[in-house]
This record gives sequence, C-alpha cells and structure tokens, in this order.
Amino acid sequence: MSGSPHRPVSRRRLLQTSALALPGAWALAACARDQPLSGPTGASSAGGSASGSAAPTPAGIPIASPQNPVKWPINPGNEPIASGLEPEANATLRIYNYPDYLDKAVIKDFQKEYADYNVTVEVSTFNDYPEALTKIRGGSSPYDVTFMSYNYIGRLVYGDLIRPLNHDYIDNIADVWEEFQNPWYDLEWQYTVPYVIYTTGIGWRSDLIPEDIGARPDPYDVFWDTKYAGEIAVLDDDREVIGMTILRDGGTDVNTADPAVLGAARDAMLEMLSLSQPRVTISGYTDIPEGVLSLSQCWSGDMITGQNYMPDGVDPSVLRYWSPPDGRGLLNNDFICVLKGGENPVLSHHFLNYMLGTEVSLKNFSWVGYQPPLRSLTPESMVADGYLPENLSAAVVKPEWFQVGYPVLELPPEVEAEYQAIWQQFKAGA
Amino acid sequence: MGDRSTRFLWPILGLPAMVWIALFFLIPLYVVFCVAFGAVDPIFRTPIPIWNPLEWQFTQVQVVWDRLFGPNNFYLPAVLRTFLYVAIAVVACLLIAFPVAYFTARYAGKYRGLVLALLVAPFFISYMMRMLAWINLLQPDGLVNSIITLGGVVPLDINWLSGNPYVVVMGLIYGYVPYMLLPLFAALDRISPSLIEAARDLGASGFDLFRRVILPMSLPGIVAGTLLISLPMMGDYFTSDMLSKSPNTAMIGNLINLSIATPGQSGQAGALLILVLLVLLVPMVLYTRSNAKAEVRS
Repeated sequence: MSGSPHRPVSRRRLLQTSALALPGAWALAACARDQPLSGPTGASSAGGSASGSAAPTPAGIPIASPQNPVKWPINPGNEPIASGLEPEANATLRIYNYPDYLDKAVIKDFQKEYADYNVTVEVSTFNDYPEALTKIRGGSSPYDVTFMSYNYIGRLVYGDLIRPLNHDYIDNIADVWEEFQNPWYDLEWQYTVPYVIYTTGIGWRSDLIPEDIGARPDPYDVFWDTKYAGEIAVLDDDREVIGMTILRDGGTDVNTADPAVLGAARDAMLEMLSLSQPRVTISGYTDIPEGVLSLSQCWSGDMITGQNYMPDGVDPSVLRYWSPPDGRGLLNNDFICVLKGGENPVLSHHFLNYMLGTEVSLKNFSWVGYQPPLRSLTPESMVADGYLPENLSAAVVKPEWFQVGYPVLELPPEVEAEYQAIWQQFKAGA
Repeated sequence: MGDRSTRFLWPILGLPAMVWIALFFLIPLYVVFCVAFGAVDPIFRTPIPIWNPLEWQFTQVQVVWDRLFGPNNFYLPAVLRTFLYVAIAVVACLLIAFPVAYFTARYAGKYRGLVLALLVAPFFISYMMRMLAWINLLQPDGLVNSIITLGGVVPLDINWLSGNPYVVVMGLIYGYVPYMLLPLFAALDRISPSLIEAARDLGASGFDLFRRVILPMSLPGIVAGTLLISLPMMGDYFTSDMLSKSPNTAMIGNLINLSIATPGQSGQAGALLILVLLVLLVPMVLYTRSNAKAEVRS
C-alpha cells in the first residue's frame, strides 16, 4: 500500500500521475530492452514506499494498453528454449489455474496423446490472481503453466517468473485471430498465447424477470432499480463494478485516474447499495440458473456454462445475456503462459500448442463456456453450429469489438489504491 | 529431595503447553504485528514484514483508524452492525440453550450423557457443510419456502438469501448455540439438588428459585458461554459470505477478509485484527479476573 488511502490524494497529484502514466510508460517500454533488470529483489528493497513516498510506476514497469502496446524485454539468462527438443519423459506437467476454468476431459486427452512420454498432468487451483502471483513467486511448487490476465503480465516479466516462448513449437497459433497474434499486451506474443475472450454484461432468467433488459435506454440502470431489490448481484471484482458504473454514468475510460469520475462512481455505487441491495458474488453461473439470483452482472461465459446448472424442470432457454451490442463495453481476454520455475519447459510448449488446436479448443469451450479467439469458430456460425443456443447469441464475442471495447488495464499503484478504497467502502456496506 | 523434584515437575508438565502457545499463538501474533506495522512490495503488493519494532511504520494502522473514526469512517457501520448481530445472537443462544441445558442437567437422569451427545451431534459436521445445508433449505424453491407456502398453495415469494440480516443472525445463532450449551450444562449440572430442595423448603416460588439460586449459580457458565461464542462471532465472515453475500450485512470479519484478499492491504487486515483484539481483550481480562476472584472466594 502506498499509503495514499488515508490521505485524500489531491486532484493535482492524481492528474499528474495519470498524465505521466501513458507517455512515461511508453518511454520506459521503449528503453526497457536496453536496461539491466533488477527483478523482484530490487523491488523489495524499495519497501519504504509504504511511508508514502511517491512511486509513479514502481521500478518503471510499463502499463500496456491498446494505445500503448508493449514489447516486453527478454531478461538475460531467460532466453527461449532451443527448437526441436523432445518433450520431457515421465514428467508431471503442473498446471495452475482458476477452478472450473479448464475441461478435465481435455486434460485427459492430452495425457493420452502424450502417452508415449508417460506424461501426467496435475491441476492446482487458485482463487484469484494476487494469490496466484504470490504462490508462483514463492516458488514452493514448480508450476509449469498458468492462466492469467494481462494486467499481471508486467509483474510476471519483471519478476522473471515466465519464460519467453519458442514459436517453433506452437504452429496452432495460425488459427488464432490476427489481433491476438500480435496483442498489445505482449507484442509479437513473446510470452503468451491467448486463452479465451469475454465481455462483461448482464445475465438473467427471463421467467423471473420478464422485462427485456437490453431494451432499456441504459440497461446498466437495472442495478439501480428498486423493483429488483434483493434479487440481483454484481460481480465480486472491484474493476468490473467500478468500470460498469463509469460506463453507466456515460464515461468511457474504465481505467480513469480522475478523482471526480471516481468520486461520482463511488457515490453511485453506494446509492446502488441502498436502492437494490445487490449481493456481491462471482457465482452467477450457478445462482442465476438455480433462481437464487434473478439477474446478475456476469461474464459472457457464465450464462453459456450456466446451461449446465439448470434445476430439473427449468428449460435453459430462459437464460438471457446482454452486453453492449456495439461492443462498447467491458471486454477482456486471458492468456496462457509458461512459468520459469517449471520443470518441463518443452512439454509446456506442447501443451500451449495443444490448447490452441481447433478441436481441443472447441471441446474446452463447450465445457467452460468461454470462447477462444479462433478463426475456425466464426461468431456467425457459433449459434448455427450448436455451440450456443439462440437465446444466448448475445454472449458471442465479435472480433471487431476489440477495436472499440474497453479493456480493464493495470493501474499505477496510487490509482489502484483509490479503486481499492472505493471497493472497500462499497463492500463494507457503508 | 522430594521438594526439589516437585518444584520442577509442574513447570516440566506445563512446558508442552507453553511451547504450543509460543509456536502457534505468540509468534504468529508477532508476525501479524510485523505485517501491520510493515511495508509493502511496490511491484507485487505483497506485505514485507518489519521485524524490528523500532522501525515499525504506522501508515496502515492510521488508514484503518481513519476509516473507523475519521471523517469518511466507512468501516464504522460494519463494526456497529457486528456488535448488534453478535449481541442479538448471544441473547438468542442464551434463551435457547438455557432451558435445554437446565432440563438436561436436572431431568434427563441417567440418560443425560446420551441426551447431551445427541444435542451436540449435528455439530460434529463442519460449519461450512451446515451453512451449505441452510442455503439449500432457504433457496427460493427450498424446503423452508415450500413449508411456509404449504407446497406452493399460499402465494408467498420470500427470498431468504437476498442479503437478509435476520438470516445472517439466524446463521450465527445456529452455528454457535452448542458452544453456549456445553458450558451452561456444566454450570447447571454442578448445582447441588439439595440446594434447590432447601430453597423450596424455605418457601421459594419457581421464579424466586430461578432468580435467587439457579441464575446466580449458573452465572459463570453464562459468562463463559457468552465469551466462548461472542469472540469467534466477532471475527466470523463466513456466515455473512454464505447466507447473504450482500455488503449490507458485512461484518468486521468480512472487512478483514477483504483486506487480506486485496493486494497491498495485508497490513490493513493486520491493523484491523489488532484493533479487534484490543477491544476483545477487555472482556477477556475482566472474565479471567472475576474467575480468579471466584476461586479465591471458594
């Protein structure tokens, strides 16, 4: 904690930070390749920041964004593996992931496919990224592969925690949408391959809420509607709820450092608490099908996978999903990467390639409900091919939305502290 | 010689317990202090404990203090809410457990061991499983609603799990009532029947008997039970998380849990914990002192 929450950060200070962040990050990114890297050891010696000293972007980690694409440095001694190596035999591939975020059948198939090498796959799970990052850094378990979001990639690279990829092992990238073959968060996909893409929107059961939420002038208003008090929920994720509130108030910058915008968002969220008494949970994918919630802010994959959680006698066709149909909403993706601490780097490369394979990807998609950005899976054909029912066609993520959508970006620590303070006030119910 | 051997006997017997307390209470508590008064890694936002008390920083404690008593004291409602929930739950536990403990102690005769075991048996199941069971019972199409609506005949639509404070307090009561029952039973069981008979012989009515004999004599059990359940309830986050998930029923435990889960805020979690500890220390000290006095008297 940079110590900012107890002193209100002055408007000028915040503006300075936000103004510095982008060009500063750009400059740092440009020269980062020539800089010697201190890694996490250099960072921990700067622990005094808790006393309140200014730390714009600690140790100069650039913040990637669509306007500021970043090519990450390759740290000395962390070069990609050589081409043409055989996968490690008798290996245990350790995967570290969210629960329910990877089809077990896909894992079994992988073990079968690599039976010649006598491969075992072991999946461990984390609850959230901060926990994952802490354990990966701790190094007590030699995880090979992990699934992450791009607001952690800077820390993964600068902490020397991930391996750059040798593209020779990953032919299946050819089937990935073009923008993900050179993504802004990892130019030239040096460290990552994309996993799934998703929007953040609203999911509901049409038999419990007959209203067409998407037909409202501003569908987000439903969270401020006393009519649904006690029946609804927002995601247990500070950035998603604050971002949604900013969009509802007519803003477009969901990563803003503007104290006026953030203050207005906080007030609106507190108003939401008193008007609709939302619950705060990420279990909408089971709670909506089961009718515990009638409506919830959720990710597009939630309603698709929610079809598997319908109680007896309720038709999955009652599930609905809405996100801005022009793509101007919260839009994100996760990636897969190879961890430096892993014992099986070659096998890990094979696993990444395997996950990008069309058949595997589709099989995994039909189980986790989250869409992979593959050319062979065109948004137009997803309903026709039966991956999605007609009532959930709005959960399809379209490639062109990545030109206009709003990704949730990493924040400078001081700004992040502001977001966290708002979230804590919201969750304290005050 | 005999004197010398007994002089060492008791400290040696006490040693394992002291080592246990040092390893699993004092040292962890010191770590909490070092985190609360420590620094934060600026990149990974993980806590960096400061082991030397002379270098402790008070930033995190200040943050928590301001949120409790500063101009924007948004922690305070959750704290007051916690005290209210705990007070109601303790009184309810007492009202439920006292008659049960009394009748078990006085009238269950030779079966009271069995009766007591049966009363406590459901609580051998883990707290989480019992709360999950309540979620099932209280769901919109759960057993509770189908009983209330007589199987759907009465058109009542109650969503118990919609962040309802009564449900959270009910969860607390249900979760902690056995811990009230056991000390009460122990206290009531110790009351000699001849004392009760004597009170009756001297003309005490039922109410007088309760007020002047049973209640004063069961007071240590009441105090012990109250402390035993209110201390863990103060730090309980699970009940609200499972049965409500709404910020409107957030308790102190939820604030601590959220701080632990938020990068860079472990120190604030530590600071909150220390503040709760300090507040709870007061009744603990009063209790041990009154106990010590009672022992001297007897």
